[in-house]
Amino acid sequence: MTGADLAFWTLAAIAVITGWRVFRTDSMVRATFFLLTSFVAVGAILLLLAASYLGFALIFMMAVEMTVMALFMVMYMMNPAGLNPMNMIHQPGTAVAAGVGVGAVLAAVALWVPFPHSAAAVPPSDPIAALGHELLGGSMLVFESAGVTLLAAMIGSVVLSSRAGRYGAADEGSLPPGLEPGGEPAGRRPAPADGGHTHMHMGDGTGGHMDMAMDRGGGDGSGDHDHGGHAAPGEGPA
Amino acid sequence: MNPAPVPPALAVAVIVGGLGLGAWVFVLLDRAATDLVSGRRPSVRPLAPLRRASFLLVQQRAETERPDRAVWMLAPALYVALAAVGAAVVPWSARLAPADVPVGIVLWGGVEALAIVAVFLHGWSANAPVALVGAYRFVALGLCFMLVSMFVLIAAALPAESLRLSAIVASQRGLWNVVRQPLGLPLFLFVGLGLTFRGPLDFADSADLAGGVAAEVSGPSLLVWETGRAAMAVAFSAMAAAVFLGGWLGPWLPGPVWLGLKTLFVMALMAGLGRSTARLRTESAVTLVWVGLLPLSFLGLAVVGLEVLR
Amino acid sequence: MTLHTLLLVAALLVGIGVYGALSQQSIVMLMMGLELLLNGLLLAAGALWALAADFTPRGQLLAIVIMAVMAVEMAVGFAVVVAVYRQRRVDTTEGLDTLRG
Repeated sequence: MTGADLAFWTLAAIAVITGWRVFRTDSMVRATFFLLTSFVAVGAILLLLAASYLGFALIFMMAVEMTVMALFMVMYMMNPAGLNPMNMIHQPGTAVAAGVGVGAVLAAVALWVPFPHSAAAVPPSDPIAALGHELLGGSMLVFESAGVTLLAAMIGSVVLSSRAGRYGAADEGSLPPGLEPGGEPAGRRPAPADGGHTHMHMGDGTGGHMDMAMDRGGGDGSGDHDHGGHAAPGEGPA
Repeated sequence: MNPAPVPPALAVAVIVGGLGLGAWVFVLLDRAATDLVSGRRPSVRPLAPLRRASFLLVQQRAETERPDRAVWMLAPALYVALAAVGAAVVPWSARLAPADVPVGIVLWGGVEALAIVAVFLHGWSANAPVALVGAYRFVALGLCFMLVSMFVLIAAALPAESLRLSAIVASQRGLWNVVRQPLGLPLFLFVGLGLTFRGPLDFADSADLAGGVAAEVSGPSLLVWETGRAAMAVAFSAMAAAVFLGGWLGPWLPGPVWLGLKTLFVMALMAGLGRSTARLRTESAVTLVWVGLLPLSFLGLAVVGLEVLR
Repeated sequence: MTLHTLLLVAALLVGIGVYGALSQQSIVMLMMGLELLLNGLLLAAGALWALAADFTPRGQLLAIVIMAVMAVEMAVGFAVVVAVYRQRRVDTTEGLDTLRG
């Protein structure tokens, strides 16, 4: 087994094992950086395949992405450091069956399909220059489309997550105005799970739309549209 | 035409030795800069860093409650390793380069990105609030100034028509990049100050956070961390010297000596700037980078591109 | 390091990614499963470029497009998570059930 083969098998084992550990670890930040390790291993394999730009660019890009993902993990997950054991898995049987099934089908394809073999090909003397000429030559359309798609993604993600919502600040729910002046905000509200009796508690933030309804000044006196008949406990914001 | 690779054992020895020596010199320069800024006469005490190193080696290791121990041990070592990898790409002379990969610029970008990961992990794994705040502040800036560094380096790669560092150094035979691309070195120095968290971007383990990321660290881990900071400054200075100041180019003296002198010059610049500029607020720094420095780097790239096309 | 072994490793990564994408309640973890899936796909594209396509430069372009897809998916996915959380205070797939019949 040559050095390159040994390196490949080590890196492949690292990629698969850390990829598996992503979903088996309690600590969310560790899961993110396990995924980064998997990406670095795949990038190193690409380096072994003489795709040096792709390998290093993958490592570069994924390091930044995984840092951002770690920040999002800490923002949204209730147990980011895994100090308490938790299990946030649903439909385990289906997921395992699907994963094993897809993996088996693709493995069968990988092992038994006669791909065109280019055993005698050697890497080009300057693959970076060749890639550059191709990007800005024959495949300019692909390159430019990717650029425009990335721009659209940037604009879209900034718009989606900007604090200035369509009808008001996003932190307060940004509800559309009512159908008649002073009426309830138009648009569908998600129905509460238990018929709404828990909404008797005012001001303790149960359910996002509660806060939003109370925060919107205006004539929205009966904050709970679900309690048509009940005496509205909150007389609107002071 | 491309430089020949140095035997790996020699390369590792020279890089490790060079980074160690460079880190020591950088700490001395840093202390001299502090003295100058405070108005004292700079007193060069060469053995002081070694004394501190030996003290840290035997100091008791501090503990926090339920840290992520494996990651806490790994993060400073990762930071030092990244400094070594970054320094390995710099060519020593026209015929010698330890690791002249065809995409040296992209490798340096990867080193910067992974350095941000290392600092975040160091702050996170301590399970302490001050460390976490330091890590978050640093990540907020790190993601911004990395983009600036990429555009500045790409602008330096344009006249060389190659991403290989030896080609970039060779393309400066007629004119150094610091003249051809006037915005390049100042912006790259700003990035370097951020990468080693000094000066205006001193966010990670700063005094206003009572030590920040390094607040809960002591003993050998603190030694590795402080050595890593200085080693990253040395690696960054070598990179800046190669990309902007002509690397090993120069008359009379052999190539590696010129590289060493230019690296020393940039190290002195970094130490001086690090001690004489005030720390920015995080929000102001983020605004400055996104609204000011990133368009400036685009402008620099466009200017170089126009000149190359002419 | 033959083509078959590389594609086998890629198939394993895709399988693990599918398992992760289907089994995680949290949207961010689901996105990590998708990223792993694209990781496997990228490895397959690189392997086919090097060992089945004679290193034609156009093959690297597929890998670059996959990397662009990774970036777009992550950016828009995070923005959607932020927007959904602001509206409904949920970040699990169980909470996004307004279209359930």
